[in-house]
Formats: sequence, structure tokens, C-alpha cells
Amino acid sequence: MEELSQHLLDIAVNSLEAGATELEITIREDTGDNTLQFHVLDNGRGIATQDIPKLLDPFYTTKKHKRMGLGIPLLREAVDRCGGTLEIRALPRKGTAVTATFPYDHLDRAPLGDVAGTLTALLAGNQGLDLIYRHQYNGEIFIFTTREFKSLLKGIPLQTPEVLVWLKNYLANQVKELRRRNNEKLGRTG
Amino acid sequence: MKSLDELDKLREKLQQQMKVRDKDHEVTVKVSMGTCGIAAGARETVKALLEELKEQGLGGVALTQTSCAGLCQHEPLVEIVKGMEKTTYVNVDREKAKEIVRKHLVEGKVIKDWTTPDH
Repeated sequence: MEELSQHLLDIAVNSLEAGATELEITIREDTGDNTLQFHVLDNGRGIATQDIPKLLDPFYTTKKHKRMGLGIPLLREAVDRCGGTLEIRALPRKGTAVTATFPYDHLDRAPLGDVAGTLTALLAGNQGLDLIYRHQYNGEIFIFTTREFKSLLKGIPLQTPEVLVWLKNYLANQVKELRRRNNEKLGRTG
Repeated sequence: MKSLDELDKLREKLQQQMKVRDKDHEVTVKVSMGTCGIAAGARETVKALLEELKEQGLGGVALTQTSCAGLCQHEPLVEIVKGMEKTTYVNVDREKAKEIVRKHLVEGKVIKDWTTPDH
């Protein structure tokens, strides 16, 4: 995978395949702290705490027709390459939380890439999905929820291609805007 | 200008179109989104499909995702299901994705050269 947002897509698809209907995706970019973190929380079937270490084994999979599961091992590799951390937690009732943290300025850290494309691809194929997306860049934050967006659409299906193409551009623009606002603030104080 | 006001305009336009559009035939476009598919560029394929569906005004096509189909070397895979008829396209990059929408979905012509070898 070339981008962290592709790993993010892969993790989120795992969640959906585990029956998740709600997904919370949080991206935090903190240049002062030198960290870039993404966090995926789902309400899927979940995993038993004792099985979590097995996720790192490429030959472990819960899917009957498959012999391998490369998603988590590849993410682990992307994390290890730049000295980051990966945490997978089973949530108390059901669901799973995956948190990957990377040193922001490390040369071997893959770029975050096209997060808007990742979110759009997720929404395109999953009609019932309830998504909350938060993106924080230093002090600035952007929040998108499908619940609010659907209410703005007033009955037009979110999965309409025209709506999804619009949404992809909107999300990409909002993320760009986060950075611009942050830089502007720096310009004023500095 | 990617503001929410703009969304209002888009919504109004789509509401008009929905009134005019008659029932679209049942077509499902499935993109394989296992780890192998994603690593091979399935996200770009989805984006290109959406763009071309929008361009051609095909609102009634259902886009869904499937997991790894065991043809990892041929990813990204796109499967078109039209009633009983199923076609699987292999190594679908952005350009192929757009062509598949234009030829297969709009004109109803299967692009044989890009389908799985055993079909």
C-alpha cells in the first residue's frame, strides 16, 4: 500500500465484513507533537482479546474461503518501518478499536494520501453505514457525519453517483481548508 | 466552491431528475475490496466508476463491494450483474472502469478482452 489512507480503507472494510453498521474514523495530525494517528472504531462482531495477537499472523484469518489475512500484517509493517505503534483493542460489549500512530516527520512514513477517496469508496458500497469522521490538524477540527449529511439530502440517496462525487470533492476541500486555517493562524501569531 | 449551499442546488437538481427518471433496470456493479484489491488500486477504480456513472447520468446502478475472490493477481476486479448475466472484468484501472461504464452499462456491450480468461 502506498498511502496510509489505503490501510485505513482496508481496516474499515474489515469492520464492515465483521458486520459493523457504525464506524468512527478519527485522524489526528499534530505537528507539534510530531504524531499522525488514525483511529477506527466499529460496532462489528469484535474479536476475543486472546485472539488479537493472531491478527498479526498473515496465516490467520476468520474467513472460511481464505487462507491468509494480510491487512493487519501490512499495516504493522507500515507502522514498524517508521517506529510507530499499533494498538488493537476489543471493546467491552462488542466492536473493535484500531489505533495506528506514526511519527509525523519520519522519512519512511507513508503519506496520508486520499482520505476523501477512502471515505467515498466506503460509503459507495455500504448503504446502511453510519459514519462519523473527524479530522484534526493541530488546533483545527473538521467533523462529518452521514446522519447530518443524509438529513441535508432530504431523501436523495447518498449513494447517487452525483452526490458521492460531490461529497468526495467536498471532503477533500474541507481537509485542505483545515491546513489552510491552521497556517493562517500561525501567520497571524508569528 | 465546495460549500453546503452548493449541495442545496445539487439536491434540487437531483430531485427534479428523480421525478423524470423511470425505473432503472437492475444492475449491480461489484468492486472487490479485499486487501489485495485495495493494494492494487480498487479505490481509484471506485472513484472512476462513480465519475463515469455521474457523467452518463446512470443513477440507478447499485455499486457494492465484495471481498477477495481469490484472483488477487487480477485485481482490481469489477463484476457486473445484470439480471442473470454476470461478467467479471480483471485489472480494472481508471480508464478501463470508465470504458466499462460506457460500453457495458450504456451500450450493453461486454468487453470480452478484459473479462476473466475462462469466461
